Amino acid sequence: MTPTFTFATAQYESGDWDSAPLVPPNIIDTIARYTEIPVTPAGVIVSLASPDLLRYPLLYLTGHLPVRFTDSERRQLREFLERGGMLFVDDHNHDVDGVFHKTATEEITRTIGEPKPLPNTHPLYSAFFKFTDGPPTTSHELNGWGDNLVHKNLFAVMREGRIAVLYSSKDYSSEWGYHPDSKRFQSVDNTKFAVNIVVYALTA
Amino acid sequence: MTARERVAAARRTLGATIGARALLWGLAAGAGLLAIVAVIDMMIGVPRALRVFAVPAAAIAALGVAGYALWRGRRVRSLPAVALWLEERVSALRYALVTALDSPLPSSYLERDIAAVHWAPVIRRTLGHALLPPLVLLAAVATLLFALPAGVRARISAPRAGDSLLRPAGGEIRNRLSPLVAEVIPPAYTGEKHVSLDEPSSVEVLAGSHLVLRGRGAATGITAALNSTPLSPALLRDSADQWRLDIVAPAKPAALELHDRNHSRTVIIAPHADSLPVVTLAAPARDTVIRTPKGALALAAAATDDYGLDAGWFEYIVSSGEGETFTFKSGVIHRVNAGGARSTTLSGALDLDSLQLKPGDLVHVRAVARDRNHITGPGIGVSETRTIRVPRPSEYDSIAVEGAPPTDVDSSQISQRMLIILTEKLQTRRAKLARADVVKESQRIGSDEARLRQHIGEIVFARLGGSQQTEDAGGNNAPAHMTPDQLLAAANAATQASAGATDFEGDETPVVAVNRPLLEAYNAMWDASRSLEVGEPGAALPPMRAALAAIQRARNAERLYLRGKAPVVIVDIAKVRLAGKRDDASSSSRLPRAALDSSAERRAERFDAAVSELASNPAAAIDSLLALRVDALESAPELAGALAPAIDALRAGHNATDALVRARRVAAGVSVARVESPRAAEWSGAW
Repeated sequence: MTPTFTFATAQYESGDWDSAPLVPPNIIDTIARYTEIPVTPAGVIVSLASPDLLRYPLLYLTGHLPVRFTDSERRQLREFLERGGMLFVDDHNHDVDGVFHKTATEEITRTIGEPKPLPNTHPLYSAFFKFTDGPPTTSHELNGWGDNLVHKNLFAVMREGRIAVLYSSKDYSSEWGYHPDSKRFQSVDNTKFAVNIVVYALTA
Repeated sequence: MTARERVAAARRTLGATIGARALLWGLAAGAGLLAIVAVIDMMIGVPRALRVFAVPAAAIAALGVAGYALWRGRRVRSLPAVALWLEERVSALRYALVTALDSPLPSSYLERDIAAVHWAPVIRRTLGHALLPPLVLLAAVATLLFALPAGVRARISAPRAGDSLLRPAGGEIRNRLSPLVAEVIPPAYTGEKHVSLDEPSSVEVLAGSHLVLRGRGAATGITAALNSTPLSPALLRDSADQWRLDIVAPAKPAALELHDRNHSRTVIIAPHADSLPVVTLAAPARDTVIRTPKGALALAAAATDDYGLDAGWFEYIVSSGEGETFTFKSGVIHRVNAGGARSTTLSGALDLDSLQLKPGDLVHVRAVARDRNHITGPGIGVSETRTIRVPRPSEYDSIAVEGAPPTDVDSSQISQRMLIILTEKLQTRRAKLARADVVKESQRIGSDEARLRQHIGEIVFARLGGSQQTEDAGGNNAPAHMTPDQLLAAANAATQASAGATDFEGDETPVVAVNRPLLEAYNAMWDASRSLEVGEPGAALPPMRAALAAIQRARNAERLYLRGKAPVVIVDIAKVRLAGKRDDASSSSRLPRAALDSSAERRAERFDAAVSELASNPAAAIDSLLALRVDALESAPELAGALAPAIDALRAGHNATDALVRARRVAAGVSVARVESPRAAEWSGAW
């Protein structure tokens, strides 16, 4: 039986973990559109404190509000990462001075290690599509929302040579937060980078 | 002085002499034993485990010999025995002394004879004979001890870890890497003592500690590398007649390699981190909702640390806003200086009035403690976070609801208003057109009306939980055959769970109230379609206008959506991939990539390779095991722990079979509870 990729969204007790409900179907649509990866049509929501976490290779976490993991969430997430899972964290505030950024990076540091800038030549950027300039910019960055910065790099916590935690301040949660049927109105599909993240999580 | 008094005086002198002799013999025996051990240690080296018994054994020997000497002189306690001893050595007494002591009455005759005899020279001579031999022996032994090197004396008198360098080299130093002494100097903030190790193969250190390695000889020519990265020669320097290497212990496990000409040595540095403070928030005990944010919120927490706390405090963050717009403010309150204590308590109160909380605000509170680790830290520990929420007024209802946008509609369809306009134009031109043209135009409008009706049907039946394909499935079961009331009754019956939950208009449930206008429109559009199909646009206009009015009423209806129910979007994978209806269609076929080797498998392979090399090249095999242990210290600590006794046993030339079997089982992923192995062919240390 061919294993099927299921996109999982992390549910945590603090904050608004469900602030980007349209991102999972949009990424699933993108995976189906560009790859032959067997993919489940709908994503799942999984609690960070649940052992079910270990059933998914990639976990998506976002929000606007402060992130404070409980002990069980931290313990389960650490086990998930140590067993080879990959966590993709996106700051829905797109603000490095924002409280999500500060609290989320603090929790990540305490759980697995401090996120460091990821070189724009990292294999992540050529795992499927080629992004020679690093992570694609978002309209929120270009419009000057949030911290009014265009972030040149993503951040990552590496473990045994691979990305364990990928951290973005670019607000892909807003950029990709639309119904997948509306993708046909985009002159350029801005969700292609999601394919690289999924392919990297499945193959690296 | 009477004869008895003179004998008593002689007994005191003899007693003192016997005591002094016993003391001297005892000292000589003890010192002699120490000297013998020291000489042996200087010549061949005595393990510290044996040297620690040298001083107690010397004390026991001294006490034994002294006791024996006292036992031999025990007769000095008896006055007649002393008198007899004098009679034996002074013949001039002619038993007068014994007789005088035995006589119950004093005899002037005997006293006069005894007074004429002087035995002091005999006593002095005896004293000299008794004390001189032990004195000479003690002097000789003391001379020998003081002639030995001070380091040798220290190794015997106060054996300690790290004293192997105190033993004289004895000629040319062939290998400056043995003996090797490591001294671990923990950071000052820990208050821990220095620890020395002889001949270390692995050093457990607190991260940030100083590690000093020392050996005999000069530092010139000795090189060192940490994880194959050469260390600066400046770190190696001379100290008296020894070389020393000062480094700060790295944060991660590392292999320190030392080289001296053709000699090499590897020391594994296994650091452990200073633990973060453990903070427990006692109050508030749980997340809560405060309807009226007034007064103060009690805060209490406890913090502990393995080496000592520096400070503790409470942190709060207030989040205000909703959707995409949030504002935050944060602060620190009730900071306490712990002063290095290993545990402390925090207490205080959060003034809610000063925060000026509004409905919808969230307050996040937690306790934080910082330790005194200024080397690799500071380590900051935090408690669980408690969230205090100020509810919005709309949340006070038993069923909390909030508005949400309606589902997007397909704007490519012609609206009901447009269809009415087209029909009205056709009706106006009808007298000028041929009947066939009227019918053709009317049917075209009718088909558009049917498409619009079908879309409204999908919306209604999707809401009522029915199949959206009902109309396409067959004409006999089309919902047009049911009256609106029948359809609504069926829908209401299918959703009894919601009946009566809300007091809507009259007796209607939300299901009926929300969908009734669209159902009316749906049925009116059926009537309009039938008239348009037969080329009667005039007859179609009234139901078309009724349908438009019903659609307007539906647009103005109040919509209720359960809060927190995000729309579920299910992607049609086949549609996205343009796969059509054939399951076997695929643009290309790809095979899955071969599974990558796991790190555990790689470690097991490295272990097997090292063990297979033991017979042919033991030194290289031990180095391989050392390198494997360095890598495993962080990623597989259980394997690292199992490798340590195996490496130690191999280095010492002992039987390493049990340890290797245990390590092999750990490397293979088998859980090992105790050290035991079957009696297999044993591998004895050949190196």
